[in-house]
Parts: sequence; C-alpha cells; structure tokens
Amino acid sequence: MENQSSYLTPSSYALEVDNLTLCFDKQKVLDEVSFKLQPGKMVAILGPNGAGKSTLLKSLSGEIGEAKSAINLLGKPLTDYSLENLAQARATLPQFIQLDFPFLVSEIIEMSLLKRLPLVAQTHYIDQALALFDVQHLKGRNYLTLSGGEQQRVQLCRVVAQVVLQAPEQLGKPRYLFLDECVSNLDLAHQHQVFSVLNQLIEKHSLSILVVLHDLNLAAQYADSALLFKQGKLVCQDEVTKVLTQDNIKQVYGFDADIMQHPNGWPMVVPASVQDNI
Amino acid sequence: MRLFKNPFIAVSLLVVLLLLSSLASLAVGALPISVADILASLTGQASNSQIELVVTEIRLPRLILGLLVGAGLGIAGAAMQGLFRNPLAGPSLVGVSSGAALFAVIIIVLGSTTFSAWMSFWGIFSLPMAAFLGGGLVTWLIYLVASKNGQTDVSLMLLTGIAINAIAGSATGLLVYFATDEELRNLTFWTLGSIASATWQDNMIASIPILIAIVGLPFFARSLNAFSMGEAVSTQIGFNIKKMKMMVITLTAMAVGAAVSVSGIIGFVGLVAPHLVRLLLGPDHRWLLPASAILGALLVVLSDMLARSLLAPTELPLGIIMSAVGGPFFLWLLLKRRSRVGF
Repeated sequence: MENQSSYLTPSSYALEVDNLTLCFDKQKVLDEVSFKLQPGKMVAILGPNGAGKSTLLKSLSGEIGEAKSAINLLGKPLTDYSLENLAQARATLPQFIQLDFPFLVSEIIEMSLLKRLPLVAQTHYIDQALALFDVQHLKGRNYLTLSGGEQQRVQLCRVVAQVVLQAPEQLGKPRYLFLDECVSNLDLAHQHQVFSVLNQLIEKHSLSILVVLHDLNLAAQYADSALLFKQGKLVCQDEVTKVLTQDNIKQVYGFDADIMQHPNGWPMVVPASVQDNI
Repeated sequence: MRLFKNPFIAVSLLVVLLLLSSLASLAVGALPISVADILASLTGQASNSQIELVVTEIRLPRLILGLLVGAGLGIAGAAMQGLFRNPLAGPSLVGVSSGAALFAVIIIVLGSTTFSAWMSFWGIFSLPMAAFLGGGLVTWLIYLVASKNGQTDVSLMLLTGIAINAIAGSATGLLVYFATDEELRNLTFWTLGSIASATWQDNMIASIPILIAIVGLPFFARSLNAFSMGEAVSTQIGFNIKKMKMMVITLTAMAVGAAVSVSGIIGFVGLVAPHLVRLLLGPDHRWLLPASAILGALLVVLSDMLARSLLAPTELPLGIIMSAVGGPFFLWLLLKRRSRVGF
C-alpha cells in the first residue's frame, strides 16, 4: 500500500490548482483558476448559478480528464493516482444521484466498499457508517422510498465511510471530501447537524473538506475560508469574514445584502430590502 | 417489496422448482413417460428401448437446450438492465436478439457463397459466432446512441431498439426472399423462436459461450451494483467501469448470440426473469445474476412444456408462448412505472 502521507509535508498544501481552464462548446466554464488550500480545513465554494462550482468539484475529484494535469491532491498530481488510490484519498458527493433499482439503505452503504469484507466486518462497517449521520433506523429501508433529505444523509454516510471507514489501517492519513450542495434537501436542524459532524470528522480523521454551498450563512458559520466564483473566474479567496462583504456579494450576485454580526461572532448575510434589489 | 429477506432461500426454492419442472418436461408429451422410466432411461437401464430413445435423444437434448437458452437469456437480461441502469432493457426489446438473428440468417443464406471462408473457418460455430457479432454490435450501438456519461435515456434506448428491430427485420425479410426452400424452412424458426429440433450438437455449440457468460458475469456484480448510482459515482468508489462495460457487453452478446443461434428469437425472457428475481430477492447483482439465469431457464422449460401440450399433438412455437406472457407483462411494467416521474 502506498503511503500517501509521505507526499505531504507539514508545510505543503492539501490541494493545489494551477491555472485550470476548461471549455465546453467554446464556452469557458472555468477561467484560469488557481488556488492552494491548507489541510484540515473546511472550505466553501460560493457563487451564483452557472459560476462553475460543480464543474470545479468534478475536476477536483478526477471526473474530467483534461483538468487532471492542473490539479495536485494531497501532495501528488491527480494524473499519478490509480482509480483505487484516488478512491482512498478522496470521496465525492455529487448534487444528484439517479438510482432506478430498489436497493436497501444497507446495500447503498455497502457499495462504498471497493473490496468485499467478511460478513461480520461488513455489518459493523454499515452500522458505523449509518451512525455517522444518525440514520441507523433507515438501515433496512428501500432507498427509493426515502425522502430527499433521508437519501441525502444516507449518501453522506456512504461517501464519508468510503474515505474514513473503509481502510482502517490508513487512519490518520490525510484525505479529502468533495461535497456538492450536500445539505440542499435537509431541514434546518439536520443542516446544522451535518456540518457539526463534518467539523468533528476534520479533527478526528485528518480530513479536508471542500463544499459547494448556496447558503452563505451556513458557509459563514462552519467554513474556515471560502472561494468566491463568478462566470468561471475565482473572484476572491480568503477567510469567510473577508469574503462575505457587501461589495463582494453585490459584485458576484448582483444583489444588495447587509452584513450583520451573529451573536456568536460570525457574519450573517441578510438581503437588503426588496425595493433596493428590484 | 422483497418476498424473501434471505436471498439464499429464494435461490434454493428456484433450484428446486427448476429440478421439478425439468423432470416434468421429460415426462410430458405425446408419449407420457413415468418418472421411474425416466430415471431408468437416464441411467441406461430402461426396459423399453423406444422409451429410452424418446428420453435420451428427443426430450433430454430439448430440455438441456431449454435450460441453456433460458439461463443465457435470463442472465444477459439482468446484466443488460444493470448496464443500462434501467429495468426496461432486455435483449429482444432493444434489438440485440434481432441483430444476432440477422447475422445468423446472413450466414444461413449466404454461407455457401459470399461467406464460405467464414463457414470453413468457424465450422459448426459459424452461426453462434455470427450471432455473437451481431448481438455485440447492436448492444454497443445502442449504448453509444442512448447513453451519455453512464446515464441512459430510456426513450432513446427503446426507440433505438425499434429502429434496429425494423432494420434487422427488413434485412432478414430480404434474405428470406432470396432463400431456397430448404433455407426457408430453416429461417422460419428464427423469427418464431423454438427449441423443438434440439440436438446434442446444438447443446454443444450453445453450452460453451453461455456457460462462459454465466460464470463470467457475476465477477462484475459488485461494480454493476455501484454502477447503478451512475458512472461518475462508481468510478469515484474506485471501480474500473470502462473495463466492466466492455466485459458485460461482450459476455452478454456471447450469451444472447449463442441462444439465438440455436433457438431463434425467444423474446421477453431477459426482461421478465430479472424483474421477477428483483421482486423475490432484491436488486443486488451478486444474487440477481445467477438467480435470473435459474429463473430464465425455468421460464423457458415451462413455456416449452406449454408449447408442446396446449394443442397436442400440434406443437406451438415457444416464442409465441413467451410473447403471449411477456407482452402483457411489459405493459404491466409500463403502467406500474407511469405513476413515477419519468422512467
């Protein structure tokens, strides 16, 4: 087994993107995007619809071949990973997952295993995975009959299990989670539950997380820093407090917002009066 | 939603049913034969040589061919539905069977002239090899047309099937027009589907590719499971999906090609069998693939018994029975899915 941590010295970055440009049908979807991210952080990708957020996430997770050479993941170029090594180094949750067969929730979790486990170990693995986001009670249910929010939490369990639980001997090695709008179907309480679990995971398992978000207030509360995109260009990269300014939001979303302070210290984005915006 | 929590029990039950109906299929016919006589004939200790001949030279090869063809079509259907990530895919529905049949018919009609080199190279395997190529070509073509990034457009898939069935039908018709009387007799059974003229040689020809598919396809069960969440997701889990797709297309075409080359087009087995298995034990391909082979074999053996006994002593073509059952089943599937958004 390759030792991934050997590539990563304490001073190096967990993720480096160097001048990534992608065109679909002569339309620039990502335009000279460059950034470097520290390990062990939760970073939010923000921006309006069509800013290239999902495309960036797909590129980072190795889904887009021509983007690979511009990306360095956990100290190693994306082009140098085998499918199996990449699966141990990062997991990705896409925005939509279309499934047409009536698998049980336990079977969905089992799919995150590249190699099969002995039955006892596998049962334990499934229980542990479902416990991550508190969905043990759904274990024997047909995935297709779950609500959108329940499906989303099960999928979160699956992707986190893939990098955190699958290879126990790799524990403590750095790894990455890419999440595309992972709480879009969740109610208020579960949105916050998911993010506090994710923050615990970062500390416990040397995870780094990159999450596409539309809810700026969730980003403000939980992310360490943010990348702000507009029309394929990285407009701003900084701590969340410095990214979420009135000017930035006006520039990127074309929308007037006031920034207030949450009683606990983080910024809160509230829309200015509707008249100002329309 | 699943009749059996434990898939092992469901599969055991299917095996028992298959054994019983196999025995029945040896017993039923113009000449009823008792179970004792069947067992005696199989062990070569029959008192009546005529009965022994009926069992070992007529009914047994026919039964085994039914088992092979049904198992091949059943497992191919399950694998294709996994590949297209959709329960409406099936070898006959999307034109794989008719593609295989067209290539086989080409060899039957033109084998002595245009394709004599092919005939002398492949010998008794000329037909199954041609059918394999035809089936593989169609599967690949449909995948190209209807799938993008591992997402299958169901309407495109079914419409492509209609187009291919039409093309293959017209080409087959053209060849029939030029066929001699003897070839013609050979050809009618392609369009209707039958295992009535089964010989031991048919069994030998069909068994190799079908057994390879039955043994080979389950190796891709776990990647097919993950693939049901899409190409991107299953690749991110670490499965080599490109390789899986190539192997599944090849093995499926082998099974369908071999089945078609010995029995013509028997529709709906590949659609119905996996669907019933999912109702029995769920969609996990590790159980779905082998169980669809068993249930496919069961379906073909049962409908062959019906084909023989419904209007006895006249025999109906097996394909007619399967379509009479499969057509309404397909309609029921469509109605059931109509309540959901899209397919």
